[in-house]
Amino acid sequence: MTLALDSVRRGQRAKVLPGFRLTLGITLAWLSAIVLVPMFALVSRAAGVGFDGMIASATDARVLASFRITFGASLIAATINLVFGTMLAWALVRWRFPGRRLLDGFVDLPFALPTAVAGIALTTLWAKRGMLGQIADGYGLQIAFAPPGIAIALVFIGLPFVVRTVQPVLEELEPEIEEAAATLGASRLQTIARVVLPELLPALLTGFALAFARAVGEYGSVIFIAGNRPGQTEIVPLLIVTKLEQYDYAGAAALAVLMLLVSFVMLLAINLLQRWAKKRHGN
Amino acid sequence: MTIEALGLEKRFGSFAALRGVDLKVEPGELLALLGPSGSGKTTLLRSIAGLETVDRGQILYEGIDADTISLRDRRVGFVFQHYALFRHMTIADNIAFGLKVRPRRERPPRAEINARVEQLLELVQLGGLGGRFPAQLSGGQRQRVALARALAIEPRVLLLDEPFGALDARVRKELRRWLRRLHEEIHVTTIFVTHDQDEAFELADRVVVMNDGKIEQIGSPAEIYDQPATEFVYEFLGGANRLPCHVEGGVALIAGTRLTTDLPRDFTGDAVAFVRPHEIGVARPNGHIDDVAQVRSILPIGPDARLDLEHVSGHIEALVPRESLDAAGIGVGSRCAVRIARARVFPTS
Repeated sequence: MTLALDSVRRGQRAKVLPGFRLTLGITLAWLSAIVLVPMFALVSRAAGVGFDGMIASATDARVLASFRITFGASLIAATINLVFGTMLAWALVRWRFPGRRLLDGFVDLPFALPTAVAGIALTTLWAKRGMLGQIADGYGLQIAFAPPGIAIALVFIGLPFVVRTVQPVLEELEPEIEEAAATLGASRLQTIARVVLPELLPALLTGFALAFARAVGEYGSVIFIAGNRPGQTEIVPLLIVTKLEQYDYAGAAALAVLMLLVSFVMLLAINLLQRWAKKRHGN
Repeated sequence: MTIEALGLEKRFGSFAALRGVDLKVEPGELLALLGPSGSGKTTLLRSIAGLETVDRGQILYEGIDADTISLRDRRVGFVFQHYALFRHMTIADNIAFGLKVRPRRERPPRAEINARVEQLLELVQLGGLGGRFPAQLSGGQRQRVALARALAIEPRVLLLDEPFGALDARVRKELRRWLRRLHEEIHVTTIFVTHDQDEAFELADRVVVMNDGKIEQIGSPAEIYDQPATEFVYEFLGGANRLPCHVEGGVALIAGTRLTTDLPRDFTGDAVAFVRPHEIGVARPNGHIDDVAQVRSILPIGPDARLDLEHVSGHIEALVPRESLDAAGIGVGSRCAVRIARARVFPTS
């Protein structure tokens, strides 16, 4: 009793589950060491070029082109992953077929494979003489060493993010809500559009955001398939590496900070969307 | 609407959920499917709704084979045990769903839909809560939303799967009474599944007792209680003493009492008798040894007393007026004669 009174007097309530301060402390220290300190170092390095320098590098034609290709290809890849990743997750959750577990295991392959290996494999496949590249060439399409090649590499590395975020939510989804929709007279298409997809919305947004973020930062697989022609198929991470090789550390840091800003704004937007979607679930 | 089930059979792998079920549901009646879990009652309900396809047999809606009617045209209002509300929609949108998904030609105008939703919200006593989301409601309220949503499509039959199973006892009782009143008001043919006999007896016009994929008995609550048709029904209703006995020429000897049974006159053999506690009386012993029991405990319940009797044929529970105990001078530990007034006897197979 006295103890309880004491802690009230000190302006804090005795907690039933202790460890708040300890876990918060560890979390903050860890986050600082792993994320915040390197970020700070990056920004302070970029400050070397000054505000004008930042603007100059941001408006450089080659830089602008690389931003367009990086974010453009990432958005396209994340969108493709959103559609096909969701379908894949659906098939894995809803149907029982031979080889399902094997297929389920394959989904994680892009996580485990060194991205350079993926890049080389995809390049061989999609080059003009490659197995699939030949077919595309027949239609006059160039895949490898062109923007579509970049998108394909990014689809490959981003796929598991969508599948693995949507899958558990689909598993939790009661079949009863679909049955309820059916007895109320909804067609299968109406049930999916009005009942299933809205239930999945928060998970879909998360998967999309993760696949997108991963694609923006991807380097290893893309540089093999992209062709890396300045202004056409050159991605921002490659441009940064190029600057580093030319000992332009401040310039590289400036690019990195710009990239960080754009990514941050886009992820923030997705996060806000997600919060809105979750609110609609009444949580 | 009249619904008929003819010879329904359904297997899930090696498990037979329905093993030849015949049932006729009369228009406007409130029917309960009562049975333990695994008895096939939910499978029967889902088959009637068209959510499950049977392996054999036929379901008729007004004499028409239900297989030829699409789920949409069946106009079945189905209420799920765990509500199955659409979490991302408001209560009003949940209720309006069945009207909004109709093809454009049949869809009522928006104003009409809104008016109908308001009306249904009032009917289920949730007026003013149309703008909330399901997560903001209590279990009982959610179940009423599910009911309103099912009623919105003006169902020809209302099917409820353990509708109050997920609710606490007090809310369950309240909703039960409310559903009974609602049924009297709208009079739509209603079938509900329950494993709770109180619920079935309190609500239903007729009760269907199911066991092991088959129907054991169909009847009014009074009929089922007074005349349990099978051993299973007696066991399931509970409360009755189960006494092994011997039958000779249709007459049973149960705990020392000779009783004429409704078994055939020429039946002789072992049987089991079901005797309800209030069908047993006690008296001062009169000399015979095998009809004497020992009183182990006496629990007064109002003007009656519940007796725990130790008899050679087993443990017997009796409910007798306390006066009769005093008159016969029976107390805890004393010996008494058992008098059986009524019993149902089933031959042991």
